[in-house]
Amino acid sequence: MNLGIVTDSTCDLPQALVEQHELEVVPAILIIEGKEHADGIGISRKEFYQQLPDFKTHPTTAAPSIGEFATRYQKLLESGCDHVISIHAAGTLTSMVNIAQQAAKEFPNRVTVIDSLSLSLGLGFQVLAVAGSAEDGLEAALNAIESTRKRLHLFAALDTIEYVRRSGRVPNTIALLGSLLSIKPIVELANGEVKAIRAVRTTKQANARMLSFMRTSGSLERLAILHTGAEARAREFLNQIMNEMSQSLPRDILMVNVTTVIGTHVGPNGLGFAAVKSK
Amino acid sequence: MGIDTVRVEKLRGRPSDGQAVKWLVEAGLLWLKTNQQIVNSLNVFPVPDGDTGTNMMLTMTSAWNEVRDSGEKHAGKMIAMVAKGALMGARGNSGVILSQLWRGFAHATQDSAIIDAEALVHGLKEARDTAYKGVVKPVEGTILTVAKDTASAAEAALAETRDPIEILARCVSAADASVNQTPELLPILKQAGVVDSGGKGLFFILEGMLRYIYGEPLDTPLAAVQPLSSLNFENVMNEVEDGQDYEVVVDFFPGQKFELQKFYGRLEEMGTSIQVGEGDGMYRMHIHVPLNKRYEPIDYIMSIGTITKIAMENLTAQMEEIDAKTKDSKLELAKVESNQIAVVVVSPGPGLSRIFASLGVAAIVSGGQTMNPSTQEILAAFENLPTDKIIVLPNNKNIILAANQAKEVTVKKVDVVPSKTVPQGLAAMLAHNPDGELASVSEKMTKALSEVTTGEITMATRSVEIDGVNVKEGEVITLLDGKLVASSKSIEEGVTGFLKKARAEEHELITLYYGEGISQSEANRIVDVVREAYPSQEIELQDGGQPHYQFIISVE
Repeated sequence: MNLGIVTDSTCDLPQALVEQHELEVVPAILIIEGKEHADGIGISRKEFYQQLPDFKTHPTTAAPSIGEFATRYQKLLESGCDHVISIHAAGTLTSMVNIAQQAAKEFPNRVTVIDSLSLSLGLGFQVLAVAGSAEDGLEAALNAIESTRKRLHLFAALDTIEYVRRSGRVPNTIALLGSLLSIKPIVELANGEVKAIRAVRTTKQANARMLSFMRTSGSLERLAILHTGAEARAREFLNQIMNEMSQSLPRDILMVNVTTVIGTHVGPNGLGFAAVKSK
Repeated sequence: MGIDTVRVEKLRGRPSDGQAVKWLVEAGLLWLKTNQQIVNSLNVFPVPDGDTGTNMMLTMTSAWNEVRDSGEKHAGKMIAMVAKGALMGARGNSGVILSQLWRGFAHATQDSAIIDAEALVHGLKEARDTAYKGVVKPVEGTILTVAKDTASAAEAALAETRDPIEILARCVSAADASVNQTPELLPILKQAGVVDSGGKGLFFILEGMLRYIYGEPLDTPLAAVQPLSSLNFENVMNEVEDGQDYEVVVDFFPGQKFELQKFYGRLEEMGTSIQVGEGDGMYRMHIHVPLNKRYEPIDYIMSIGTITKIAMENLTAQMEEIDAKTKDSKLELAKVESNQIAVVVVSPGPGLSRIFASLGVAAIVSGGQTMNPSTQEILAAFENLPTDKIIVLPNNKNIILAANQAKEVTVKKVDVVPSKTVPQGLAAMLAHNPDGELASVSEKMTKALSEVTTGEITMATRSVEIDGVNVKEGEVITLLDGKLVASSKSIEEGVTGFLKKARAEEHELITLYYGEGISQSEANRIVDVVREAYPSQEIELQDGGQPHYQFIISVE
């Protein structure tokens, strides 16, 4: 069976992996001061995070159109794919899954839309799992997703609560936290829900917490260090984990400046990681 | 004065039943109350806190209130009630230890219908053991030592006499000697030139009982002139009595015919809460009087000396102001559900309460320096919450024991995370997870306590040299994690001095909570100085509203 794979740009997979696995990536849309940008085009991530605190109006995001999805499904099906798996950012946080489902209706029984219940490499690692088992057919691919999801952890240490609060995409318990004191929340995205694990007040405390989460995860099959325009911080964190637990780390570790579409809701100078535990 | 031997013989002939015990408890309370300012002034650190006398007096008051209307004849049952009242009203570390002494005494005498010599000695021994067990790391040279020496003296006396009055008399002498020995056991007391305050309080309670038996007055303090610097009228605010609406403070130089006992006698006819201080020949008199007597102390003092200064204040209005202030701050407290963990904090200021509320605490007990909440108040804060899982943040080293005691008298599952300062409490609060498992959440919160360094800036209440720091009364002093580290001429110097000692330049964030004693503009000015000195650090200024401490600072 020849399985086609569609995802969206919030998966944060590097271009090399996209090409290697012949993935179709639908770009999410970022609106900066009234102007629409397809994710990754027109403004680099680095530039974006530098400018983010100073934009006059806060950038917002939009999902691509139904047509964007439909075009890719059609292309894959016409080029010899028997079936398409379309796997996307958590439906609780974006309308991506919803729109993909609308598009899939045009191709009855030929497109399976999946809610990854995650973001960034939390979605990306599920996409890679599909790619790794695509040759064994749809059912094997779905099992691979399920297996990855069970072992997936996604944590983020935000530099400020300001951006998530403005995004309106997190429960009030997080947004209200520390409305007087400036604090840095540490959140976990699990099963499509953002949960505040705890809060800290300095980046040093945040890094220490992230490190201790990492310590408890045991041996890892996949790992990505995620950051929002905070490369130095991410490198330091990477060094720390390499020094402390190199035995339990996978061979390839991705280091990703997270897509602006997520970053605009998270704010600059955030640090996180997506990890899949070993079986 | 002197011992009324007829009375003593009469009392000696009577069995010490429940009613006799009750009057002894009242006597202990009255004598402690009379001398509470002396106990309060025995403060190691020259900071406005640790009102041991007030704390112990309130603890004894709660004990007395439990039994005052009781006609119980059985001594053991009476003492059990005393112990219960003391437990619920326990405030501050010494108050908690005092309540444990009562608890031990009650346990030993539960079956004693009367207190004879054996029961008394047995009770004192078990009181000592219970108090020692109640403290994680017992420190000698404290109230514990005084309780121990008292019990030993009682035991020794039993070999020679079966007369409980004689045993009590020996206990009082032993307690007195023990109190005077405390500086030899606890170097910090010696440095500060004081004896242990809790031990002294216990001595006054025992002595009060003996004075009652001897027929000596319990309401006239002995030569009760304190050094001027140790006078602290703010605690007196807690106990404004009905009808005593005016506070009068008079500074004067006494004339040649000045007699202290007579002076006290006259003042006692006029009002309550009398305190007299002396420094360099100048006296300061403090009294609460009713409206129609407000000029009497002034007229009287004018007749016996030369007045230099008079201050008069309407206490009722002042109390109303305090009430209004606390009512003003509507707090949005976290609503916890039955399966969640609720956090209860002790907060010393309205601004700090608001910050704690914004971080998700479920209940707030007002209190801190000079106003240690009782076991009962802490208990009341969480008894009505809809959950059984409670974490208490005392945020003051002198409230931790009372919090632990609240834990012991409730059926709820309570963990006390021993925060000694407000910044520690805030750090712990950030680690809170209402949906977690109690033991692991409180462990995480306890770990978080060490993530901040706390600075406290206040005014020295007296001159002293401690830990190599020479402090003059009225100077600004700086505490780092509870230790006296510097004295300085200005608040600004105190703040910058602390930041230097805390190595703020190696940290990321400096948060300053300014107190009620400093204006916002002055706080802003000082923060500007800090910003300039620490350009790479984030600086945050918050309205803490705490009394006594101009600034509470965290560095992390």
